[in-house]
Amino acid sequence: MIKGHNKTADMSKRLQDMLAGARDSAKGSYVIRAVGVRKVYKMGDSETHALRGVTLDVHRGEYMSIMGPSGSGKSTFFNMIGGLDKPTAGKVYIDQVDIAQLDAYELAWLRCRKVGYIFQMFNLIQVMSCIENVMLPMSFAGKDSEEARERALEILDLVGLRSRALHKPAEMSGGQQQRVAIARALANSPDILLADEPTGNLDLKTGEEIIDLFSHLRDTLGITIITATHDLKMLKASDRIVWIEDGRLARVSTPEEANIHLEEVH
Amino acid sequence: MGSRMERTIGKQVKLPFRRAVQISLRGIRIRFGRSLVTVSGVVLGIAFLMSNLTGQLIKKAIAHERAQRDTVNMMLSLVRAEVGSVSGKKIAVAAFGALTEADRLLLEQVVAAEPESVRGFGVGAPGVTPAAADKVGEGAALLLVLGEAGRSEIPLSTLATGMRQRVALDSQEGRVYAGTKDSSLRREPFFGKESDEQIQRMRQQARAERFRTFWIVGISLLVTVLGVANALLMSVTERFREIGTMKCLGALSAFIRTLFLIESSLIGLIGSLVGVVVGALLPLIAYGFAYRFDLVFGSMPYGLLFASAGGAVVVGTLLAVLAAIYPANFASRMVPASALRSTV
Repeated sequence: MIKGHNKTADMSKRLQDMLAGARDSAKGSYVIRAVGVRKVYKMGDSETHALRGVTLDVHRGEYMSIMGPSGSGKSTFFNMIGGLDKPTAGKVYIDQVDIAQLDAYELAWLRCRKVGYIFQMFNLIQVMSCIENVMLPMSFAGKDSEEARERALEILDLVGLRSRALHKPAEMSGGQQQRVAIARALANSPDILLADEPTGNLDLKTGEEIIDLFSHLRDTLGITIITATHDLKMLKASDRIVWIEDGRLARVSTPEEANIHLEEVH
Repeated sequence: MGSRMERTIGKQVKLPFRRAVQISLRGIRIRFGRSLVTVSGVVLGIAFLMSNLTGQLIKKAIAHERAQRDTVNMMLSLVRAEVGSVSGKKIAVAAFGALTEADRLLLEQVVAAEPESVRGFGVGAPGVTPAAADKVGEGAALLLVLGEAGRSEIPLSTLATGMRQRVALDSQEGRVYAGTKDSSLRREPFFGKESDEQIQRMRQQARAERFRTFWIVGISLLVTVLGVANALLMSVTERFREIGTMKCLGALSAFIRTLFLIESSLIGLIGSLVGVVVGALLPLIAYGFAYRFDLVFGSMPYGLLFASAGGAVVVGTLLAVLAAIYPANFASRMVPASALRSTV
């Protein structure tokens, strides 16, 4: 019964194996492919072209940041590759599946198991405790509650919050809440983590912890991480930075190249 | 849908109903203040409905009770007019069919007045000695003919056999004098019968009154429905982000709809239960003070009261669900991307 100090390490090792195992079964080096994606919003008579043909491949296990001023179509693109919105023209493939072809049930399934979402405002369900928040996507996936509870504890352990499992979000700091949100996003072993300004509401130090956690998740679980962010630290930690401007893909660069650009801006 | 992608993409399963109930219950508990306001709207509407129903039941019961007491008092005064005090006299009772409420009360009062004996034909009541049809009248000062069935079975002359003075009172057919000869029996109805015209007018008044009540109660229920719908819409807008988040996590639209419908039906159920209790007690107490408590509570038809309470609870719950249809659909149509909005 007593495993001593190794228990925690065992647990996260087991979890990593579990997550990695699920990932190996899905082959293909691109996890997301966007081909000539256009999006037009119609407001009465006027049309707004949010995206004017974006083509981009996201590698499996990549840490990618999307940059762009507000109104650039960054959010639209972000929603599109996360399966939250369908393109007006062009194709978005998530794991080789054209999301435009999916019905409501299949889209819900995709959001539940393929993609984990992380929000700027954490978006934890306030009326639920941490562990219940983490268990929610699993109950949506139809997992029975005993199994879900056990797994939720393991994931909370992974983000270092096992001891606070029964606390309500309101009783926790922003950084802790965001880590619970990350645990929740990991609940159904997704291939992709989609994070919208994940450090936007956190102070510098806590933000760094979250960035470290992301890097750790990518390295250990091989999970694909896509963030929309303005955080310099976050940009530096990513493998690629994608710049969206005026509905088009402006450029794709590594953090080293991007640093030059950023310095130019300042 | 192409068969190629069915390998990689599955269909999202529906969540068990129990889970939805759990989540909505918690939602109500946490947002207790708001829920309380919504519930109290239902309480008011249903209490109003219930107090109207109860008030009508009480009025009817009291009117019935009064009519009965009036009948008994009239009969008693007739008895006194015929034989003076009952005390120490022999009384004969013949009943055809079951006794009416008024008959029973009359008989109780007669027995309580301590006559020498009460012989009864076809009556089983405390203080009444059973006797045969032609023996019941022997030496009796008065013959009471009671019951709700027809009087033709046994002629009055047989029942009156052996009476010193052949005097009979019939609770249904009126006063019956019996002389020494059988042929001299004649009947005088002592209840004035209303004319058809009067009855018509009373019916019309009752119908108008009922319509007025329906109208007022209907309006108040409508206000309740709108109140609940408004509160739920507020609650939906307040939870934009939460709903969007749930959708991002894989919730189906149907689940979101169910969530709100359950929440509303629980609000309706709780509100109706409280409303029914308040709505039943208030008129009972008010009428109790206006008349007498034993009269109000004693004459209340409790079966009907509970039936109306059950009906009111069902109505309240259904109306709450009705009120939730639009807000629930509104919530279920919300796009998952609304979770990403950084401001509420």
